Amino acid sequence: MRIGNALLVGVAALAYGVLFAPIAVIVVFGFNEPVGRFNLIWQRFTLENWLHPLRDAALNQALANSLALALAASAIATVLGGLMALALSRHRLRGRSWIEMLLVLPLTSPEVVLATSLLTLFVQTNLPRGFGTLLIAHSLFCLSYAGLTLKARLAEMDGSLEEAAMDLGARPLRAFRLVTLPLIAPGLLAAFLLSFSLSLDDYIISMFTAGETVTLPLYIAGAFQREISPQIHVLATMVLVVSVALLGLSVRGGRSA
Amino acid sequence: MGRRRFLRHALLAGGTAALGPALLAACRSGGGDRSRRLVISNWPLYIDPTSDGVPGTVDRFRKQTGIEVSYSEDQNDSVAFFAKIQPELSAGRPIAQDLFVTPYWLAARLIRLGWADPLPLEEVANAARLIPTLRKPSWDPSGRFTLPWQSGITGIAYNIEATGRPLTSVDDLFDPRLKGKVGFLTEMRDTMGMLMLADGKDITQPTFAAAEPSFARLERAKKDGQIRAFTGNDYQDDLLAGNFAACVAWSGDVAQLALEQPKLRFLVPATGTTLWADVMVMPKGAPHRREAAEWMNFVYDPVHAARIAAAVKYISPVQGVQEVLARTSDTAALARNPLMFPDRAMEARLKVFGPLAPAEEAQFDERFASITEG
Amino acid sequence: MSASRRSLRAEPRTARTRRQDWLPWLLVAPGLTWLVLWFVLPLAQLLPVSLSDTADRFRMTLVFSGRIANYTEVIGQYTPVLARSLVYAGAATALAVLIAYPLAWVIRFRGGRWKAVLLALVVVPFFTPYLVRAIAWTTLLGDDGPLLSALRAVGLPQGTRLLNTAFAVVGGLTYNALPFMVLPITLSLERIPTELLDAARDLQGGPWTVFRRVVLPLSAPGLAAGIVLSLIPAAGDVVNPQFLGGPNNRMIGNVMQSLMLVQRQLPRGAALALVLMALMTATVVVHVRRHGSSDLTLT
Repeated sequence: MRIGNALLVGVAALAYGVLFAPIAVIVVFGFNEPVGRFNLIWQRFTLENWLHPLRDAALNQALANSLALALAASAIATVLGGLMALALSRHRLRGRSWIEMLLVLPLTSPEVVLATSLLTLFVQTNLPRGFGTLLIAHSLFCLSYAGLTLKARLAEMDGSLEEAAMDLGARPLRAFRLVTLPLIAPGLLAAFLLSFSLSLDDYIISMFTAGETVTLPLYIAGAFQREISPQIHVLATMVLVVSVALLGLSVRGGRSA
Repeated sequence: MGRRRFLRHALLAGGTAALGPALLAACRSGGGDRSRRLVISNWPLYIDPTSDGVPGTVDRFRKQTGIEVSYSEDQNDSVAFFAKIQPELSAGRPIAQDLFVTPYWLAARLIRLGWADPLPLEEVANAARLIPTLRKPSWDPSGRFTLPWQSGITGIAYNIEATGRPLTSVDDLFDPRLKGKVGFLTEMRDTMGMLMLADGKDITQPTFAAAEPSFARLERAKKDGQIRAFTGNDYQDDLLAGNFAACVAWSGDVAQLALEQPKLRFLVPATGTTLWADVMVMPKGAPHRREAAEWMNFVYDPVHAARIAAAVKYISPVQGVQEVLARTSDTAALARNPLMFPDRAMEARLKVFGPLAPAEEAQFDERFASITEG
Repeated sequence: MSASRRSLRAEPRTARTRRQDWLPWLLVAPGLTWLVLWFVLPLAQLLPVSLSDTADRFRMTLVFSGRIANYTEVIGQYTPVLARSLVYAGAATALAVLIAYPLAWVIRFRGGRWKAVLLALVVVPFFTPYLVRAIAWTTLLGDDGPLLSALRAVGLPQGTRLLNTAFAVVGGLTYNALPFMVLPITLSLERIPTELLDAARDLQGGPWTVFRRVVLPLSAPGLAAGIVLSLIPAAGDVVNPQFLGGPNNRMIGNVMQSLMLVQRQLPRGAALALVLMALMTATVVVHVRRHGSSDLTLT
């Protein structure tokens, strides 16, 4: 048992090592002073990149596009997904299992298939590709994640609180606003953040649907061909730090709730 | 096309109603006014930048003409770029750019599809300075739709420390001692042009039948693990990181890279190789024709062209650049570089990959993809 | 909401509930419309596209011709790549299970008050952009990179390569599958009461027996969800073969990308997409029928 335990802990430690190996590279190369175009070989330490994180104008534009897209797509997904989750978990609905399957499938379909089907649809209907088509695509796959996440949250929750509120004379909408909404607020936030990070990171579907709009992953793929600036590593580190801070807050918030 | 009409109606009814005006606004790119503006798209690091207070060509042009230039270096994959502009141009809508720089073969496709406007060459006095070898080229027989930006040579770049010996021919790329350390380009014409020439084929009038032995050779090398990767511009990372010992590469890149890695060498095979050009094209309906003419005239002035040539180290298409470079001591060496100014012996090795009929181009693309993606 | 209250109580229908029968439909309508418009409709129109001829591949114009050969051609030509994709994805999923299960076990049973932190640490690396991570791996695995240099120092033969090999691709896929494996397994282990394990041990069960007879069956839903969530993205991945693989390690996603964006053969791309979709959907439908969808959400 001792040996087994040590082995398990060893595997776990190794796993964490592997998980953080590329992260270490990203953080470290933010402090590199590359010779030439590609920040891929360690040269020497500098703070220059951190003092000028926004020097790469095209990168900033791509990041701004990505943030706007992620924000809009997550908002659509959280609202539509939230409504669907309410209906699926609180109401009797004919064809419920079919609707649920429909909600699951975009999440479990290979991304290239979604990308291909959307691209052919846009081509066939002559819909100009750009931010609009990106928003359609991103809100679609985010909808699945948001809807299923919220449905799971609602399923864990007890419907009796709402009933109690209404037995005490609250109208349905008021009961929803005063009871249900505060209860599912952490779930909504989680769904929104999950959607946000998925959208921010999507490469394959964006590649097919972006038109001339450049998102962050598309920019990075292009940069691999021409110039990998250390600002990429700096911004990646910043995204990481902000995300960890948000995660820390939500973990703490989740505990106190 | 009943189905298509139905789809469009469904989309208009459902999609736009649900999304509202925001989507429509997002779909339409902002239409520009017709003032003194110019939108140019070029490949990265393909012009002299403003640095250390010395203004680059774009800034000098801005200052001299007062034209508000948007110059973006957002070209990095011609296939992806074509995919981006295709829906707009095939629907007869103008795209964001007034002028973009694209490979000669893609320019030929755009001309054939009727998606390029004739250049306002009558307003470009300096266009007369175009070097003779690039006049009325096979990709633009009338010479009215394209003006070369830079031209260059596809060759073999290698790290002499890694190969242990100077390379002398295309066959060296298939040397088993370099197994797994060799790269080829995803640009079909560059890779295949060099291989076909090594097989003694004429690439100025390429046929699929003539190319097949070279395809077969490439496919065998891939299956054997001789070829480590097919790359775009990223072969530069692999050369510097030591992953490639040798690879098919472009002349100017290697001249620039050699400054960082002195062990790099560049071979122009004696069996011949491709001479290519990246050309300026005006997409159909581009509004700022006069400003574009002024830009072309500016960059075809030998003094400005020499600045660009000294920075990018490709073949300048402008006559008189060599003389301008030779005048100054710190650029005099460039004027003697045969990769920038090919001499007779070099010129004899250089061939332009000829135009392909649409059906044959599809065959070439499919066969090539079956090797790179299969 | 009153409709929920009524339905939960399953009271006999009154005039009021009947009037509100439309409420759930009103709630699902926007999302359902969205799913139909941008998921069902695009997939449905792949069928006619996949049975068409390309009239002009640069203008992307198609002519419906009922050309079934698109299917036989892509299946004939790409079966090896498809098989390779499934093998890589399968190998990566198996590796991910082997790494993730012990990790989940340690988090659940040895994590103590650090449990939440340990779990969060599994997710944190994935807050960096996917492609930047892939590029970082190329730095780590390069021929002169830190990993091979270190291994050579302890006797690895010269000329051993990692980057641009099947090993690197499967490694990359495994890496990206880890959080999708660790989270559902940890959550399912979480649901096993400690008392149950104590009871099993008290009944003289050895650790292996307890694991096999109690823990494994109880964590099966999480394991199954992890497998689905790892297998499908891995099988359709584009990035890892592109950045970490060589020309003999391309996967079906790269082929789709080439067909759609480079060769511009929409009908063949559509045919291949439908084949892929059929394969994957079968897996998912079986999973959801057996385990439901809730484990797939990682919550």
